[in-house]
Amino acid sequence: MGSSSSSVNHVPNAQELMQETGFSASQILRLYERFEFLDRDRTGGLSFQDLEALPHLSINPIGDRIIGAFFSQGQETVDFASFVRVLAHFRPVDSNRRDGAPQEQANSRTRKLKFAFQLYDQDKDGKISRAELLQVLRSMLGIQVTEEQLQSIAERAIQEADLDRDDAISFDEFKKSLEKVDIDHKMSIRILR
Amino acid sequence: MSPRTGSHSPAGIGRSLAERGLLLLVVLVLLEGSVLPLGAASSPDISHQENVDNHKVAKEGHNFTKKPFPVLDLDYEHIRIPFEISLWVLLASLMKLGFHLIPRLSGIVPESCLLITVGLLVGGLIKLAGEKVPPVMNSKFFFLILLPPIILDAGYFLPIRPFMENLGTILMFAVVGTLWNAFFVGGLLYAVCQIQPGNPNIIHSLELLPCLLFGSIISAVDPVAVLAVFEEIHINELLHILVFGESLLNDAVTVVLYHLFEEYSGQGTVTVMDGFLGVISFLVVALGGVLVGAIYGILSAFTSRFTSHTRVIEPLFVFVYSYMAYLSAEMFHLSGIMALIACGAVMKPYVEANISHKSHTTIKYFLKMWSSVSETLIFIFLGVATVDGPHAWNWTFVTVTVILCLVARVIGVVGLTYMINKFRIVKLTTKDQFIIAYGGLRGAIAFSLGFLLDKDHFAMREMFLTAIITVIFFTVFVQGMTIKPLVELLAVKKKQEAKRTINEEIHIQFLDHLLTGIEDICGHYGHHHWKDKLNRFNKKYIKKCLIAGERSKEPQLIAFYHKMEMKQAIELVESGGGVKLPSAVPSTVSMQNIQPKKPPPAKPVERALPQLPKGREEEIRKILRSNLQRTRQRLRSYNRHTLVADPYEDGLGDLLLKKQKMIELEKKIKDMNNYLTVPAAPPDSPTMCRARLASDPQAYSMKPDTDSVPTIHVDLASPQSPDSVNLMDEFRRAGQQQRQQKEDEDQGLMMKPPSAPSRPKKPGEADADRDQQKLMRCLSDPGPSADEDEDEPFLP
Repeated sequence: MGSSSSSVNHVPNAQELMQETGFSASQILRLYERFEFLDRDRTGGLSFQDLEALPHLSINPIGDRIIGAFFSQGQETVDFASFVRVLAHFRPVDSNRRDGAPQEQANSRTRKLKFAFQLYDQDKDGKISRAELLQVLRSMLGIQVTEEQLQSIAERAIQEADLDRDDAISFDEFKKSLEKVDIDHKMSIRILR
Repeated sequence: MSPRTGSHSPAGIGRSLAERGLLLLVVLVLLEGSVLPLGAASSPDISHQENVDNHKVAKEGHNFTKKPFPVLDLDYEHIRIPFEISLWVLLASLMKLGFHLIPRLSGIVPESCLLITVGLLVGGLIKLAGEKVPPVMNSKFFFLILLPPIILDAGYFLPIRPFMENLGTILMFAVVGTLWNAFFVGGLLYAVCQIQPGNPNIIHSLELLPCLLFGSIISAVDPVAVLAVFEEIHINELLHILVFGESLLNDAVTVVLYHLFEEYSGQGTVTVMDGFLGVISFLVVALGGVLVGAIYGILSAFTSRFTSHTRVIEPLFVFVYSYMAYLSAEMFHLSGIMALIACGAVMKPYVEANISHKSHTTIKYFLKMWSSVSETLIFIFLGVATVDGPHAWNWTFVTVTVILCLVARVIGVVGLTYMINKFRIVKLTTKDQFIIAYGGLRGAIAFSLGFLLDKDHFAMREMFLTAIITVIFFTVFVQGMTIKPLVELLAVKKKQEAKRTINEEIHIQFLDHLLTGIEDICGHYGHHHWKDKLNRFNKKYIKKCLIAGERSKEPQLIAFYHKMEMKQAIELVESGGGVKLPSAVPSTVSMQNIQPKKPPPAKPVERALPQLPKGREEEIRKILRSNLQRTRQRLRSYNRHTLVADPYEDGLGDLLLKKQKMIELEKKIKDMNNYLTVPAAPPDSPTMCRARLASDPQAYSMKPDTDSVPTIHVDLASPQSPDSVNLMDEFRRAGQQQRQQKEDEDQGLMMKPPSAPSRPKKPGEADADRDQQKLMRCLSDPGPSADEDEDEPFLP
């Protein structure tokens, strides 16, 4: 899998991306190859349809949210830099990284959680409201669940997590409810090491 | 004073009671120790006597030297074997009892050590009495009777998710680690045996193959010992599952190596071909064992689908199928342990969905009980067999063995971790490695395997046994006793004891989906991808076959949620029974008529009362939910000692917390409009009412809601306040009302204040109450609260 760094030069902004995200040259190359594969019509950017074409993603309950996460505000296509930046969140945390404070790295625990939080919070108001939680539950649980059951689960979840009693889950509350979960493990993809 | 009361008294009295209890136990032990040999001794005499008598009578024909009719007769032989077995079991249980009466001791010394010591004592006693020690460590008995319950208990309650996530690591340790240990110890032992300059030593005659055989016996980490020690140190889940998983999975390796070397020890050589066959045999043994287990597991799950009418024998199916899986695997010389683990793990999610709550409790308690007794017996027998067995002590052999075992383990763990960490996301630190290496305890399996050796083929059998016993003692005593302080010293992460919240459940599922999606985008067919696929397959086909009725379509989250609700409801009811309150209960309010709402579990009740419509169930669940105040702290452990969290441990802090939650709850009730068909004035358990009334001087009332939602104004001014009395009166009337006609709607649940519009009470609400009564009758005993480990979804 090791390609020489000369091939990496084909990749636009490779060095900066490596610096920013912590990926190695071979990983950047691999991601670039994947990017080109996904970009069927060779536009240099991924459109919604390109990503939707992936078969497994279409049956993923939160597939459209994931795809949506790649597109930052109002953009129509995803360029390679954004592609890599999003995927950088899923790099396994390396405990002995010397440069940069751990908090600011793209794959730090907080950043990972923030990414997940943003997937919940579609209207980007910084909170997961009951309606948003219901939406997520609805998409995950499918049609065989009654409305009441969903409501009660959502109610229960908010009851548990909501500490400042504003009837919504803020990012801190979200983080707190997951403090016992090993996020570093759960939100890391091995090949992106 | 009976030892039973000792545990509940305060420390001072308890100590003297405990000491007296201990004395009693010691006396009992001595008694039992003496009965056994006496029994053995007297029985031949007596039977002989009787035979002679009968003979005499028969011979003399109808000679009238009639014996007087024996009013009291002693016929020990008749009941000897069951009696002795029961006596051993009783001894084991009393020992366990005794250890926990002496708190300091059980804190310092792990139970396994104490039990071995007791075994040594009993064995010594028997020997002193001049009797032949019963061959308790008969390998057949051990492998067929004593071992399966422990393994089944482990397999049934195996936390699947951490196990699967670390499967690669576990397999590496189990397979490669054990192989390395076996060859290292065996090979070096042979080398050491050869280099005895000068004085002829018996060990010179030891050849390579017996050495390797010995190495393979001694190298396997023992699940029983690991369980016994690790359960007391409450180490974090990762390390626990690594060491424990390794001890379970190395059985296959041990079986193959053992048979391989045993077969060919006679011939003297092992060719490459044999080695190759050995590898294939390993695959067959391991995968075959798993397959056999899985087949039986599926059969058991399928059977449980139809047991809705015969609930009482549901646990039996679980046990019998598992045991048969074990026996079938042993029949083919496959790995019985892996079969048992596979059976338990495969059948659990489906069986749990099918059986009743009581059966579930039964299974859990029986498994824990059997495995506990088994483990105790194993350690005691180990002690007894030590005293009994013919020993051949050889300083060189034994010491070299012990040292080599330790060294091999350390080198193996370090080397393997180095390689494994390249592939792991969460790497194993040095501390982790140390614990893994230190936790490699040997136990009774090694001894039994050594015991099985044929004396004719292996002249060194006794020496082997002695060495094995020494290693076992060393690991169990030295390592077992010191691991706890070492864990403290190294500040290794301990087990997190917290209840799994619904938030975690939701988010974890969400993250799973997220990661699966990202993996798809990356084009990487990783861990999540396959898990997702398996889940889909499971949901689509398997669940339909193996789970009865409605439950088969129930998504994981819903099942989890139901379970949580039910558990909490049960807790609430239980705590409502016995909470000690800080202040006196005001007697002006009669609480008796407020029946604590028994938890009507949603889905299981559907099976008991099929006519309970879904809407009612929802209402009931609403009421229930409004009662569920606090998520309790529970031990998330499959530890035998702490099965049930004590429901009587609520203190003042809890009451205050409950009070606070009440405030929140009332605010939230405001919001629940359209699906709150019952104006859910929380019909609290008496405790709650008492708590509120007793400890709350201030009144907290609700802001009246302006929309047409019936609000519950809970005006609790003071214990004597007429408001609260009215509140209770309402309930009482509501309770009575059920027995009247249905149409009597208007009184009962109309709450103050009159500003709330008098919403016509739905006729259904009376139904709800009546159904609840029916349910309460059905559920006479909700059973003790469950452990957390069953919350683990099969493949979340």
